[in-house]
Amino acid sequence: MMRIVLTMKERTNPHIPIEAEKINPAFLMWGTDDLTVWEGNKERRLDEIFEVEVEGTATSVNEVEVVLRGDTSRVKRIGEYMDGGRITVEGNVGMHCGNFMAAGTIEVMGDAGGWFAREMQGGAIICHGDVGHYCAAGYRGEKKGMRGGKVEVFGNAGDFTAEHLFGGEVVVHGNCGDMPGVDMQGGYLTIHGDCSRPCGNMTKGKCTVLGCVSEMPPTFKKEGEVEGPDGLPLTHFTGDVANRGKGNLLVRHYQYLE
Amino acid sequence: MIHEDMICPFCGCLCDDLVIETKGTEVVRVDNACTLGSHKLMNAGKHRLKGPIMRDSGQWRDASYEEAIEYAAGILLDADRPLLYGWSSTQGEAQGTGVSMAELLGGVIDSTTSVCHGPSILAIQEVGHPGCTLGQVKNRADLIVYWGCNPTEAHPRHMSRYTTYADGYFLENAFRDRKLILVDVRKTETASIADEFVQVKPGGDYAVLSALRAIVRGREDVVPPTVAGVTKEQLLRVAALCKEAKFGALFFGVGLTMSPGKYKNVRNAIELVDELNRHTKFTLTPLRGHYNVYGSNEVFTWMTGYPYAVDFSRQIAFYNPGETTAVDLMARKECDAALIVASDPGAHFPKKCLEHLASIPTVLIDPMHTMTTPLVKCQIPTAVTGMDAPGTAYRMDGVPIHVKKFLDLGYPTDTEIIGKIFEKVKEVRHP
Ligand code: SF4
Repeated sequence: MMRIVLTMKERTNPHIPIEAEKINPAFLMWGTDDLTVWEGNKERRLDEIFEVEVEGTATSVNEVEVVLRGDTSRVKRIGEYMDGGRITVEGNVGMHCGNFMAAGTIEVMGDAGGWFAREMQGGAIICHGDVGHYCAAGYRGEKKGMRGGKVEVFGNAGDFTAEHLFGGEVVVHGNCGDMPGVDMQGGYLTIHGDCSRPCGNMTKGKCTVLGCVSEMPPTFKKEGEVEGPDGLPLTHFTGDVANRGKGNLLVRHYQYLE
Repeated sequence: MIHEDMICPFCGCLCDDLVIETKGTEVVRVDNACTLGSHKLMNAGKHRLKGPIMRDSGQWRDASYEEAIEYAAGILLDADRPLLYGWSSTQGEAQGTGVSMAELLGGVIDSTTSVCHGPSILAIQEVGHPGCTLGQVKNRADLIVYWGCNPTEAHPRHMSRYTTYADGYFLENAFRDRKLILVDVRKTETASIADEFVQVKPGGDYAVLSALRAIVRGREDVVPPTVAGVTKEQLLRVAALCKEAKFGALFFGVGLTMSPGKYKNVRNAIELVDELNRHTKFTLTPLRGHYNVYGSNEVFTWMTGYPYAVDFSRQIAFYNPGETTAVDLMARKECDAALIVASDPGAHFPKKCLEHLASIPTVLIDPMHTMTTPLVKCQIPTAVTGMDAPGTAYRMDGVPIHVKKFLDLGYPTDTEIIGKIFEKVKEVRHP
């Protein structure tokens, strides 16, 4: 096993974002000397920004564990294109954590910024706090969002969660903001709390809202009652009819904007 | 002196039939413009800042152009995340120089699009733009839909030049033949002349658009009796009007782009237009506000591939509204120096953003004292494009128009000032 601990150093301006797609077991396992990150428009050596401690060795990426400490709330792109191993963020993490990840595990103990698990392909990513907007969504103009793997958020999620969802599973234990699952085309989205306007324009996939939906989209066809988890009665809708959609939306309570 | 066929540099209509009479540096008469345009043009030479000003321990003092340019280049070069924001009320030429400078600086360049029609562009990037020029609308459209906008007040000559009151080559009696649908959250002046006024509850645009899409494709069975305050009967009437039209044109404003759901509202409108095109001809055009905000999108796109919010910090262009847009950068206190060009964030941005703006070194390039002036450390006055400087501007439908000058007040143009700052930047960072 190889364990790499990166501790954020004090910075003169802690608001400048850091882009650190090199914080990925696949790069770190070969040594940290040549790795750089970008602080604003300046390219910096990894050890200018982080204290780096490495213990043990690894023969495959799956034997690598990376731990991030300190104020990492402005560090973006951690675990981008990750294809194995494990990253644990002890505090908060910046935007685009787990972009395109294909395998492995990322666990964030604090909050995560926007575009968490954007266009994820596989693996597992967990956030114990809240996540920003566009969790498990796609990039601007991209037709497909997340395609595989599992995202689990224990806090609340922002707006446009699982936008363009295409595959995989997204579970939010708290509430979601506006328009979760908008334009979704596959996959599973489960929201344990409340949300507004879910699944507009959906074509396929399944979304379950165990809390209350406000401003329920008016273009879903009511199919009847079904039994949800824990035996709770859920109303089953199909749609979005506006888009010839064949998605399934199951909700515990709902309200139209009349 | 009488200047004919002048262009109004105020709103996105870019009216090109103005007659302006000047005596020396005074404007004495403006013909054909609306009240907004006339007011701006009649005061063309007035309220200008005499020369650059800089702040010294809280006090304004006069400065030379050289000193101000030197200062601007200095703060941008020193920054780790410089922001170059504004660009909607200036020449295309200045916008182009701005992009080149942002690239060399490794900065972020964003235009006021991000606070008005940015969502329209995001939607267009998802599903395309079924658009046309205003000339097509004028000559062919027999149905006009204004959604979330008030052309009577914001684009006063839009209706007389291109829609309701305009003659149409292919319409016998344009005024009688052309139907008008207005959709808005409140009853505005335009509502009194509309054939159908649809009053939507705030935030309900997305739902109404979805319902219309379902109705147009024959699935009114799923639509509940009222949608966001609009009755199903009215929705059926509106859908029928749209389907019966020979050529429909939908215009929308910030009422759609800045209400909850933002670009998803616009996407839904585009998809409604798409659906209607299975029955008739229908187009969609954003009603752009500032006269050359569309130009900033054109220039940024042909130079960088992206229409606004372009981040060059890693020496390649990256674009992600919400992350690289000026408001977000300021709210997260990311930018550590800013150059504001021809726009007034002081009047429009949230307080949190302005507090950050006031705390970092900032230079404003603007001819007049604005609400942004108290927030900056240095202001450089320049000539106003369309008054004392010529230049290129893009009309709301994407047509480039050469804007002319009719005054000579001796100010340098935006392009000259930004070009000089760029020269200084190049001296330090060779491309
Ligand atoms: S409609 Fe716009 S461009 Fe035309 S005169 Fe009025 S303000 Fe100027």
